[in-house]
Amino acid sequence: METVDPMLELRGISKSFYGVRVLHDVDFAVQKGEIMGLCGENGAGKSTLMKITAGIHAQDSGDVVFKGNVMRRGSTPLSMQGVGVSMIHQELNLLPELTVAQNIFLCREPRVASGLVNFKKMNDDAAAILYRLGEKIEPKRQVRDLKIAQKQMVEIAKAISFNVALLVMDEPTSVLTGKETRVLFDLIGTLSSQGISVVYISHRLKEITDVCHRVTVLRDGSLVATKNVSEVTAHDLAALMVGRDVQESRSSDFSGDPSAVMLEVKDVSDDLLKGVGFSVRRGEILGFSGLVGAGRTELMEVIFGIRKPRTGTVLVQGKPVTLRNAIDAIRADLGFVTEDRKETGLVLCRDITENSNYVAWEKSKGFFKGRTATLANTRGMIQRLAIRCSSPSQNVSNLSGGNQQKVALAKWLLSGARVLVLDEPTRGVDVGARQEIYRIIRELAAEGVAVVIVSSDLPEILSICQRVIIMHEGRITGSLPASEMTEEKIMYYATDV
Amino acid sequence: MEALEHSSGNWLLELIKKVWRNYSVLVVFVVIIGICGLFAPRFLHPDNLLNILRNTSTVGAIALGMTFVIIAGGIDLSSGPVMATAGAVLILLQRMVNPDGSPLIPLPFAILACLAVATSFGFINGIIITKAKLPPFIVTLAVGIIARSLVMYFMRGATVMGNNIPQFTGIGNGSVFGVPIPFIVVIALAIIFHIVLTRSKFGTYVFAVGGNENASLYSGIKVDRVRIATYMMVGLCTGIAATIEMSRMAAVAAATSGNQYEFEAITAVIVGGTSLNGGRGRLVGTIVGFIILGIVNNMMIMLNISPYLSGAVKGAVILFAVLMQRRER
Repeated sequence: METVDPMLELRGISKSFYGVRVLHDVDFAVQKGEIMGLCGENGAGKSTLMKITAGIHAQDSGDVVFKGNVMRRGSTPLSMQGVGVSMIHQELNLLPELTVAQNIFLCREPRVASGLVNFKKMNDDAAAILYRLGEKIEPKRQVRDLKIAQKQMVEIAKAISFNVALLVMDEPTSVLTGKETRVLFDLIGTLSSQGISVVYISHRLKEITDVCHRVTVLRDGSLVATKNVSEVTAHDLAALMVGRDVQESRSSDFSGDPSAVMLEVKDVSDDLLKGVGFSVRRGEILGFSGLVGAGRTELMEVIFGIRKPRTGTVLVQGKPVTLRNAIDAIRADLGFVTEDRKETGLVLCRDITENSNYVAWEKSKGFFKGRTATLANTRGMIQRLAIRCSSPSQNVSNLSGGNQQKVALAKWLLSGARVLVLDEPTRGVDVGARQEIYRIIRELAAEGVAVVIVSSDLPEILSICQRVIIMHEGRITGSLPASEMTEEKIMYYATDV
Repeated sequence: MEALEHSSGNWLLELIKKVWRNYSVLVVFVVIIGICGLFAPRFLHPDNLLNILRNTSTVGAIALGMTFVIIAGGIDLSSGPVMATAGAVLILLQRMVNPDGSPLIPLPFAILACLAVATSFGFINGIIITKAKLPPFIVTLAVGIIARSLVMYFMRGATVMGNNIPQFTGIGNGSVFGVPIPFIVVIALAIIFHIVLTRSKFGTYVFAVGGNENASLYSGIKVDRVRIATYMMVGLCTGIAATIEMSRMAAVAAATSGNQYEFEAITAVIVGGTSLNGGRGRLVGTIVGFIILGIVNNMMIMLNISPYLSGAVKGAVILFAVLMQRRER
């Protein structure tokens, strides 16, 4: 940016939670109309810094200066929205039972003289804002019926309706497909050309270099660097984030015994899936790629007994198994690290020990937990997976995303699973922990575990999978060994052009 | 001296904070006892204290089972009526006598029948909640209304006297080394339950199911069985409460036996710090909780306050306890 016209300046921001310092004397500035990337590992303080900006948390020291005015300490999200700062959170905050227009104008509904809501004006205004975003969503639709990308558009519309001057987006693309991401990037560009500043938080460094003007890197709550995007590569950013050089490796073809099939799935069909079948061998790492909604997660749910198919057979080590529920799958030595840690992976209000032993306990006999053995197993896992925690009795809700994912993984490692399905294993996981998870996956495969990875992240598929199966709208459209994998080929099958 | 105080002050403050964080309900408990002793010196007389423990045992027994239900994310609003129903079964069996005046059915069998009836109600609650996938609030409310209605119908709304023999009345009114038998029963139950909750796999699953039912399902926990088991536990506890209560009076009143006991038990659990959202809770808290309720009832009499005001005081106690727990977070 040539003209210096600061929209937001953060000066010397520090913040501690429960005596743990999360931000240390951070300076940060965004110019008018600038798209500023913000990256760092999980727990680096990105979200906290932006939550302070948006008035959700109060800083311990330092100043938030917006459009040249020092914001007072007691700012609230509403007061900050009033002056033009809006934040779109990682987890979308919409009320599913209300309409699109009601969500956009929540608490600020236009009224008629009698004080009742003026629905006509509200719907018209909502339509006008959505039109400005180039989005054709009917304002009267209920939000729960929308696709996730549309929901995000509604969030953006809501933010813009406040006459936004600074828009903070926390990991906006983690749930979007490639096409939807491009639409979002176009939109961000438009906002920027209208003089709106955007702070863009993401783990996907490629996106940062694609869409942002400048980028700020945080590590352990401190500012590491602010750079022009033209001067850095995604690789440089990764190195800045972890404070060392990160090697992106390429996976090689499966070299084990091709006849040692651990899991075989035949002809699985239901409303979404259409005659899907595949097999994975002992020690193999098999990837599943495809767009969101291609049916990959649903297929894994069938294999794990959670979803009932109309037809289909599952064989584990050559023997057909009846899978009525998760318990049957667990008995057959299957494991399933789900996509959504908070919903289906972990009991957040319980501690690491309990969360990592549920399946092992379920598989073992006896009434009591056997505390000594349990604790020893848990400590072993904390060490092996390098889970950063204060003790095994720490609640998992207090762990960072990467460490939570490791606990979810520990649960299945302790269960002795022979076939392990991992659905989006590094979603919301930072670069450093991501490499550790890849290392663990490779170790498991080397020990003879058959690993199935569902991932929407193509670099992830390329760097770890020995073979990839690509799905499109409930069908398998392609299969590639590591030696033939490229992002282009995978996208070709995934879009089924 | 001042310097010493300053240096140890931090350490002391930390200790106090720690004690408060983990045992606030116990601290409040001790303070309440102190205040009560100040206002009514008779309160601290051992006879009175033991009397409180005896009176509070019925609700206490139900509260122990209720703790499991609430930790697993449920609630049981049928305990009071179920207690009346199970109690009616006990009294009706127990009052049947041979021509020579000896009991027709041996007392242990009558008690077993009472426990079985109460546990069956828990089973019915659990089955409907898990298999029909209905909210526990509604299911147990409906089952409670049905149970009360049936006991009213079969007993024509009357109070029925049991066979007033010492073997029976001794259960509720007797003492061992001065300690009331009902309280001994409840404490023994509490110890067993505490071990189950903290040391057994089942106990951990109860926490898991209440904390995140979906994640529990995906971890292979038999969620339905765990939930049914918690309702059967509160059922069993209600049967024990019925046995204690019936033996104290040697009578059952169709309309009033166990009236409001479910709410008293839920109050005890909440005052004891168990979260109504499920996933968190402790039995020690529940014990303190029901004793606090017993103390409130007792003080109302001691201070000669109208019994009509007891609800006002208990409501205030709930609000106070929950407010204190909120502050801790």
